[in-house]
Amino acid sequence: MNLAESPKLEDFGHDVWWIILIKVVGIFAFLVVMTLFTIWYERKVVGRMQHRPGPNRVGPIGLLQSLADGLKLAFKEDIMPKLADKAVFFIAPVISTVCAFTAFSIMPLGGMVSIFGERTPLQLTDLPVAVLLVLACGGLGIYGIVLGGWASGSTYPLLGGLRSAAQMISYEVAMGLSIVAVFMTAGSMSTSEIVAAQANGSQQEIFGSTVTLPGWYFLMLLPSFLIYFISAVGETNRAPFDLPEAESELVGGFHTEYSSLKFALFFLAEYINMVTVSALCTTLFLGGWRAPAPITTWWAGANEGWWPLLWFTVKVLILLFVFVWLRGTLPRLRYDQFMRFGWKVLVPINLVWILLVAGVRVAANADNTVRYAIYGGFAVLLVGIIMFWPAKKQVEPASIAPEKLPEGSFPIPPMDLVVPPSPRTKRIEHAAAAPSATPEQGE
Amino acid sequence: MTFKLPAIDYLALAPMLVLFGAACAGVLVDALVPREWRYHVQVPLSLVALLASGGFVVALANRKEHVVTAGSAVVIDGPGLFLQGSIVVLGIVALFLVAERRLEPGGAFVAQAAVVAGSEADRKQMRKPGVTEVYPMMLFALAGMMLFCSANDLLTMFVALEVFSLPLYLLCALARRRRLLSQEAAVKYFLLGAFASAFFLYGVAMIYGYAGKVDFRGINEAVLGSSNSKTLLLIGLAMLAIGLLFKVAAVPFHVWTPDVYQGAPTPITAFMAACTKVAAFGGLLRVLYVAFERSSWDFRPTLGVIAAATMIVGAVLAVTQTDIKRLLAYSSVANAGYLLTGTLSMNRDGLKYTMFYLVAYGFTVLAAFAIVMLVRDSDGEATHLARWAGLGRRSPVFASLFTFLMLAFAGIPLTSGFTAKFGVFAAAVGGNMTWLVIIGVLSSMILAFPYLRVVVLMWLSVPGDDTPTVSVPGAFTAAALFVGVAMTLVLGVAPNQALELVNDAGAFLR
Amino acid sequence: MSTVLALAGEVTTGEAATFYILAPIALIGAIGMVWARNAVHSALFLVLTMLSLGVFYILQAGPFIGMVQIIVYTGAIMMLFLFVLMLIGRDASDSLIETLRGQRTVALLLGIGFAGLLCTGLGRAVGSMTSVGLDEANAAGNTQGIARDLFTKYVFAFEVTSALLITAAVGAMLLAHVEKVKAEKVTQLEMMRARFAPGNYPAPKPGPGVFAATNSVAAPGLLPDRTVAGRSLSALVPTRELTEAEAAPKGTEK
Repeated sequence: MNLAESPKLEDFGHDVWWIILIKVVGIFAFLVVMTLFTIWYERKVVGRMQHRPGPNRVGPIGLLQSLADGLKLAFKEDIMPKLADKAVFFIAPVISTVCAFTAFSIMPLGGMVSIFGERTPLQLTDLPVAVLLVLACGGLGIYGIVLGGWASGSTYPLLGGLRSAAQMISYEVAMGLSIVAVFMTAGSMSTSEIVAAQANGSQQEIFGSTVTLPGWYFLMLLPSFLIYFISAVGETNRAPFDLPEAESELVGGFHTEYSSLKFALFFLAEYINMVTVSALCTTLFLGGWRAPAPITTWWAGANEGWWPLLWFTVKVLILLFVFVWLRGTLPRLRYDQFMRFGWKVLVPINLVWILLVAGVRVAANADNTVRYAIYGGFAVLLVGIIMFWPAKKQVEPASIAPEKLPEGSFPIPPMDLVVPPSPRTKRIEHAAAAPSATPEQGE
Repeated sequence: MTFKLPAIDYLALAPMLVLFGAACAGVLVDALVPREWRYHVQVPLSLVALLASGGFVVALANRKEHVVTAGSAVVIDGPGLFLQGSIVVLGIVALFLVAERRLEPGGAFVAQAAVVAGSEADRKQMRKPGVTEVYPMMLFALAGMMLFCSANDLLTMFVALEVFSLPLYLLCALARRRRLLSQEAAVKYFLLGAFASAFFLYGVAMIYGYAGKVDFRGINEAVLGSSNSKTLLLIGLAMLAIGLLFKVAAVPFHVWTPDVYQGAPTPITAFMAACTKVAAFGGLLRVLYVAFERSSWDFRPTLGVIAAATMIVGAVLAVTQTDIKRLLAYSSVANAGYLLTGTLSMNRDGLKYTMFYLVAYGFTVLAAFAIVMLVRDSDGEATHLARWAGLGRRSPVFASLFTFLMLAFAGIPLTSGFTAKFGVFAAAVGGNMTWLVIIGVLSSMILAFPYLRVVVLMWLSVPGDDTPTVSVPGAFTAAALFVGVAMTLVLGVAPNQALELVNDAGAFLR
Repeated sequence: MSTVLALAGEVTTGEAATFYILAPIALIGAIGMVWARNAVHSALFLVLTMLSLGVFYILQAGPFIGMVQIIVYTGAIMMLFLFVLMLIGRDASDSLIETLRGQRTVALLLGIGFAGLLCTGLGRAVGSMTSVGLDEANAAGNTQGIARDLFTKYVFAFEVTSALLITAAVGAMLLAHVEKVKAEKVTQLEMMRARFAPGNYPAPKPGPGVFAATNSVAAPGLLPDRTVAGRSLSALVPTRELTEAEAAPKGTEK
């Protein structure tokens, strides 16, 4: 692989105005199409998981279903609740959507391409602190949800808003920390440079022997990758972490009072956020727009021109599939379990992991005494953790043996109640016992 | 891009590092040690840490080598070491007061500060042992104070300011009795303190704009040679001064003092009165003497007016007080004025006697608050002055001690108060601030009145039914009281050794 | 990066335009924060100002500090503010009783005076100044420059900040955390036992107005024999006699 086509930070900021315009419109279109597609994709996948076909009426294999839904949504009545704070109620979905779109501006969709003869990177812009921009947009996007919940002037949305404020701040901490290891390994916070840094596996010397570490960070920084993805699910309010809009508890959560286009904007923002965190995950951990390893060995041109856009999209779609898969598989967490998981599991593991990565990186460049001190420190830390790991208390199983209830208790059925066989089963058994009868005849 | 960590003289930083380390260990102790053992682990830990820190200070003082270390962030020089040493010693005495558990079951601190004051749960926890987090908090505060006295640039100084302020805000809120007052005190102190910090930081920005640097030597050079408009320097200096004067409780930035002194648990009040004063004046001295000495023509008139106002307002308002803790608070405001007088003389004697005054005042005020802790009835400390009437007949020993301390505050000869006041006034006359000295003497006369009123009240009134008893102090309070009174006497009768010590400290290193 | 990061001493058109658009917004936000009656609106105005400041930092060649300003201040701190405000409730606006008479006027006058003093002073001081040192500071990149300062010149202050964070964490725990005694924890099993214990009615209480002609909270639920269901009465809402019209069955066909 040659790095020649990788854009450098200096390549950005020189575009002519119409190229910028094309890129902006292109990204807008990409995101809207991705949203429409993802909604269909999600319904289809969840449908298959539940042994039903999913949407299949509008367009070929139901592809236009979400478009039809969107159009219908736009023509619905726009309801402004009486107790709503009008200005904030109006602006909340706009904040959500704007932040969602803005975050995508630094996603590297490909290397250098030529648009109408102009050589330019397939990426709207890049900054030395590009990844922080995504975090900043994520942080601001929360305002949309929280304010939407507050401004509705209603209880369920307020509860949803409160939940999402606490949830997203907690998971943003975990998410931000998980990215730190990537920054340290890549030595940059610019997305294009992080992609470039994953192009080749690095030669690392560990305990005297040279090992080629895999290029993509998801292998080398596996804990970071896992924590990033888990917190990304929390950050996008997706099942099993969809507490701000938990249907069984809060009706619709923060968007209960929203309808028509405002609701559509929230919906759009949620799906764009999904695409964005998947795209960021691709960029940070899955080698960005570069083709996976076996392809490049027999096809050198895989990373040239417009092809990277394909690899990028495929990777994003795979990650989106995982989102849907989680939703189709896991039940929703209870709120306290969810917060405990974030603060007491994800964040501490993350901190220890960052320490580990930093230690290894320092050890690689240090002289022997420092190196042994670092490894010795890790060993002590490990032993300490193992020694002080809180032992799980044995909870004696709750006895369900019939107890003597005090006089005057409300009558309850015995715990070992056996459900009597249904009359229908009895009939079937009876019919089966008769030699000449078939089940149909028994009915 | 590679860069090297600057050379760090760990021995020079050891007094602070020991305290920081011990404080972190203390937090871990609170997390891991069973509840009933925590007090018995924390107190020795804190004590050992403070003694070790003091030992390092002495070792550094004997080394007689003044260094700027940690990339010019910290300077270890004579006055800095003296101030650090006095903070440690006063801190040990304050720790004795904090650790006292004989006077009240569980000590002066609440068991769980988060329990709503006055609720059923609050009544239940009345007899439970107090929180032990106060010890690490106190160590953090002490370490911050030491750094504040020896910071060599404004940024480090700001961080140190926050490091020692934040634990104090917290400690104020932890009183076992009169919890709402205590919480109110903490909120007031926190809000106003945050404002003051903001002013300080804004001042740092302005001075950076003027000098292009934040370290004291750089600022000093800039004051001499910068071509930038001086307005920026003056704005910056004014803002910086607001931040620092808030901490020393100078008028008009003193309004928090009475409320906080009254609401905070008495050991913490003593701690603040003694150690915070040393740290705040240490910082102020360094800023004025090292960084802005050359613009002293600009700030001396303004700060002089503030000093005069501090002395007069503190003294006059002390006259009107009916609560002993508030009285001591206003007395501390007035004393800040005397200290400012010494500071503003801007000469060698000024530095010397201000530092001496800080130590002398610190010991006296610690002893005074120790006695305030002892005078109590079933509702805790009896701080209203009317309740003190006739205490002299109830308990002549403690009343005599308190009388002695009051005389020291009033500046009667043969007490440390006299030596210290005489010293700063003499220095101020030498520094051409005679008008300030005249106001100082006048205000001392006013201030003598409330002190003597307390004395008269104790001895010449007949004890009534509600005159509280003076509890028998536990070993800790007795030790603190003994050290405080003894030092007040020694520094008054034979101050030569201490004066020699301040003299040897020399001048600030630039 | 030239479009994003300004070079020292020259102001590009884009930079100037952004500044002149955002500066009034920042000011409006600051004034609105003080002016707004509703606490949440106040917080939102503050968010606006902080956001604008973040962009200013980026404009002035400090992208890292700008982003951190947005993430930390607007993203986290103000969000926690909002969180608390929402918990308190949306109608909690300031009571405008002055405990100190004339305090607001004095505060306003002093504030304006102080601002005036500061602005004129700054205007005079900064007008004649030339800015220096931006290029050197950003020579190796902005983030790297900050890293260099943090880990060389100010390394001690940086490390000491950890003491501040520990204090803050311990303090938050001290002032906000109530330890639960083991005995006070009610397990699922105990809750279940208590539910079916004598004297307790295990099923949900009947809602107000069940079997009644109205579903007002103030009207008690009626049992099938038209007697009042005692459990449906709320201790908080006084019961109300229904008027004849209210009690009459309401036809839906009208």
